[in-house]
Amino acid sequence: MSKRADTTAAPDRPREPESAVGPTPGVEPAPGAEELARRARRWGVWYFAEHQLRTMRSYLSVIVAYSVGHPLLYLVAMGVGLASLVDANGGGDFGGVDYLVFLVPALLASGTFVAASNEFTWPIMDGFKWRRVYHGPLVSPLQPWQIAAGHTLAVALRLFAQSLVYFLIVAAFGAVPSGFGFLAIITSTLAGLAIGTPLMAYAATIRVEKAQFVMIQRFGVMPLMLFSGTFFPLTNLPVFLQWIGWVSPLWHASEIGRVFTYGYDEPLWLSIVHVLYLVALAGGGLLLAFRTYYNRLVD
Amino acid sequence: MTHRLSQPVAERSQPLRAELLEPSHRPLAGLYSGNVRAVVARGLMALKTNNWAVFISGFIEPVLYLAAMGIGLGPLIGTVEGPGGTAVSYGAYIAPALLAVSAMNGAVYDSTNNVFFKLRFSKLYQTMLNTSLGPLDVAMGEIYLALQRGFLYAVGFMLVMLPLGYVSSWWALLMVPAAVLVAFGFASLGMGITSYFTRFQHLDWINFALLPMFLFSATLYPLSVYPQAIQWVIQALPLWHGVELLRSLSVGYFTPAMLVHVAYFVVMIAVGVVLTTSRLRALFLR
Repeated sequence: MSKRADTTAAPDRPREPESAVGPTPGVEPAPGAEELARRARRWGVWYFAEHQLRTMRSYLSVIVAYSVGHPLLYLVAMGVGLASLVDANGGGDFGGVDYLVFLVPALLASGTFVAASNEFTWPIMDGFKWRRVYHGPLVSPLQPWQIAAGHTLAVALRLFAQSLVYFLIVAAFGAVPSGFGFLAIITSTLAGLAIGTPLMAYAATIRVEKAQFVMIQRFGVMPLMLFSGTFFPLTNLPVFLQWIGWVSPLWHASEIGRVFTYGYDEPLWLSIVHVLYLVALAGGGLLLAFRTYYNRLVD
Repeated sequence: MTHRLSQPVAERSQPLRAELLEPSHRPLAGLYSGNVRAVVARGLMALKTNNWAVFISGFIEPVLYLAAMGIGLGPLIGTVEGPGGTAVSYGAYIAPALLAVSAMNGAVYDSTNNVFFKLRFSKLYQTMLNTSLGPLDVAMGEIYLALQRGFLYAVGFMLVMLPLGYVSSWWALLMVPAAVLVAFGFASLGMGITSYFTRFQHLDWINFALLPMFLFSATLYPLSVYPQAIQWVIQALPLWHGVELLRSLSVGYFTPAMLVHVAYFVVMIAVGVVLTTSRLRALFLR
């Protein structure tokens, strides 16, 4: 009995005062808890985006290799290698431009498309289940929607940076004739978000990972890349396959990208439809994600 | 009391122990116990509970490429010069190349991702090597499973080529065993290389090596578009040999160069099996 009392005596030892030294002159004192909470409520989206961007630094080499290397490989293989075959056989079905010029906006969009399909699947599982990175901010004043929006913001910045670098490379090759070409950077970022935010909303509902993401890659992203008028005009496909392009955000992004990069001729209303469709998918997906995040994190 | 009880047991085990200590004079006795069947049987049993969609998905990719490029791009390109100078449709030109890609994918997915998991996470090989199985049994069993996958992909791909009218010769049937040879090469070497990986992220390098090989190995357009120096680099890569071999077989045009392609894979298989066996031994039988 007395022995037990001895062991519990330790915590009674007086602790060091929290601030043994007073505020150092010239250094701003740390803000109080309430001030920090106020800032988190206000800037939470940015705070979480910062966290997510810092995480990306740990696999920056993979990001660079995949986001720039991947489309560049396709560019050389298709735009130079295959182009020689297409042009030699009098292809010329690309609105009077070289095959390379036709290809560039589609590759720009498909690069962000593929990157987004990765960024909005595995890291979501990381947030909820594997490394549970969402659960830290959750006990702070951050709201679930801020976590979802912060994650989206970080990926959007990443996709924008990737598109920018890729655009500068292809522009250096002279593959972007139009002065409005830079707008394709924005539309390709939008293409990534259009596939990404609905995926994020879906990924947030997955509790047991059973290769769903691999399936999405192989049966969703990959076929969409092949049948969205990326490597040839969509009208080359039989009509019963063309619907794939119409529902695919990648086709809409490639087409509007072509309008910007080389002045592809299409009715104005169609260009507006492309943009609206992408915005609707990205926005709708984000709202849906807010809901699934809330359901998973709060309920 | 205890001494008297244990005495007879020790006496009885004496000759047995001597027999066990007798070294075996069978060749490769330290590496091979002649029981590849056990590894294969275990693999097939595991396949039953596997996700079939994942299994099939490795085959889907080249088929989709064939459909997309053949239907979408084919009309723009028209005919291409095939083996022996005969004009073939663009679809018929890329089909054998994509079959080689399909065999490669099947073998590589099986011998890298799956092997990595068994090697580093489930410690399956460690368990197997604690039995009478040797590293060569394990290597051959695993490679056989990858080959089986390559075979299934090749047969499936042929069944897709037929209705599209991309097969014009009976010799094309030889593409199936040839595809298995290609798969064998990739599976044996892939497993050996995977044994060096310690992290999941390392597997990205496999995909990173496969994509340029897929894009540049004369799969979608002839090698002649490149300058000579680049042609040499591509001709040193295994997929190019696989593509050329299958493309020749698809129209039944035989050349001595095909022997070189076959020899390339025979050497690749030998190197791969030796590498994998010695790596398994180094990792688990220290």
